Amino acid sequence: MAEPAKTIPKPLPEITPVTRPFWDATAQGELIMQRCKDCGSWVWCPRPACVECGGEKLEWTQLSGRGQVFAFTVIREVVGRALRGFASDIPYVTAWVDLEEGPRICSNIVGCPIDQVTIGMSVEVVFEEAAQGIFLPKFRPR
Amino acid sequence: MSLRGAAAIVGVGETPVDRLGGKPGEPRKSTAEYLAWAFRLALEDAGLEKKDFDGQGLAAIYTTNHSQPFWPEEAANILGVSPAVSLAGGNGGASAVSLLGHAAAMIQSGVVDLVVVVAAAAPFSERGRSRVEPADTRDFEMPFGVMGPNSKISFVMSRYMHESGMTADHFGKIAVTARYHATLNPGAYLRKPLTLEEYKNSRMISDPIRLYDCVLPANGGKAYIVASPERARNLRKPPIHLLGWGERNNASAGPRSNANPLITGVRECGKAAFQMAGVSHGDVDFLGLYDDYVPIVMLQIEDLGFCEKSNREFFARTDFTIKGSLPIQTGGGMINCGQPSTTGGTLHVIEAVRQLRGEGGARQVAGAEIGLVTGLGAVNYGKNFGCTATAILGGKT
Repeated sequence: MAEPAKTIPKPLPEITPVTRPFWDATAQGELIMQRCKDCGSWVWCPRPACVECGGEKLEWTQLSGRGQVFAFTVIREVVGRALRGFASDIPYVTAWVDLEEGPRICSNIVGCPIDQVTIGMSVEVVFEEAAQGIFLPKFRPR
Repeated sequence: MSLRGAAAIVGVGETPVDRLGGKPGEPRKSTAEYLAWAFRLALEDAGLEKKDFDGQGLAAIYTTNHSQPFWPEEAANILGVSPAVSLAGGNGGASAVSLLGHAAAMIQSGVVDLVVVVAAAAPFSERGRSRVEPADTRDFEMPFGVMGPNSKISFVMSRYMHESGMTADHFGKIAVTARYHATLNPGAYLRKPLTLEEYKNSRMISDPIRLYDCVLPANGGKAYIVASPERARNLRKPPIHLLGWGERNNASAGPRSNANPLITGVRECGKAAFQMAGVSHGDVDFLGLYDDYVPIVMLQIEDLGFCEKSNREFFARTDFTIKGSLPIQTGGGMINCGQPSTTGGTLHVIEAVRQLRGEGGARQVAGAEIGLVTGLGAVNYGKNFGCTATAILGGKT
């Protein structure tokens, strides 16, 4: 029997001191984001300071994990060497999800056929283990 | 302070583009060769010599396949000039238009009276260096399989279709118009007429982006020379003056964690350019809009104020060809003429100069006196383009 084809690794996030709380939370099944204590703005992606007012008092805040699809695309071709690991997943859906609390997150829509994804569709977060201890927040129909 | 009339473009140079070098035995040229070739063509066009650029300005656009931290210096070394000032084009596809303003400001301040903007890339014949991705892309897009700009523009386009009701027919009209202009341009790479049906039948890359919505990567080199009004007066070709200019980076309409991606920074830098030029929309004879993707052309027409947002009727009614009321992409645009990496946007500046000199041949817009060009670069997480620039050029001041 032929050896199974070697799996090409998918890119993983580089975990830094600034982003660590986010990835620690997803591993616990929680979706959190930074919020500025001075001006109340959501800060996403993670930053060392508030992108609206410059304040440094950012507080990791839990989100409901519920939201709506704002925009989406069906990926049908791999572009670039770094992303070849996704070739066997094609076609799949990446989307911008507007979370109930306001911020928008880029993720995948899973748990439904690709032709059933629509803008405005209600979704909720699920966590998928992408590598040892790294859980990616993805969204499924709610 | 205004840059109106502060400088003029006096020479342009453009090498042929190709897509060769990827396979063994194919002829291959390096970025350095394209750079030197384009510079030589621009000097010839202006009636200047290489030694005229010692002690003057050099503006080099970073290329994604050949970028290194000292690129402007390396470019000077390749060209064999000793500039008094180096301007670095680090705004990706916006660099060509961005540097036009930077060059004019440098000339207006009296530091130099000539600046050459050089741009070249050979992605097919030179192996690219591994790119360092922005942290947001690396950590929060790539692990989800986002395929670079193709996917990111698809997000914007899917939302645009949802909000505006635009369809493949609207996008296709832009693609067909640009290709029609390419058929009239001997320098264009894709010159076979394109029908709306062919556009609609082209394969989906990243829904709703089709093959013919995407730019054509290519090898090539381009250069243009900017001069003070005094210096411009007695050169070979009539000067094409900078009338208005604006640049806007990291623009965001609405909160940064939930921006409106259908509004680009062109809204701001376009306004600045119009204000500086002191002209109105009706005075503009043609547009050369940065076109790495077809729908982006439409967002820019809206953001520049040629119509209100999501005006389907305007896009259906307006004739965008060289004979129409609002000609766009008069030489075929990057979509058909090719995009040598981040240097590709130089195409629009050079085409505008040709039109304003009356050198457009079969694609000449009759009586063109004022043209507007844009540049765009980077696609930021959750937003639209990060770098944007607009310039208005004129044959008369």
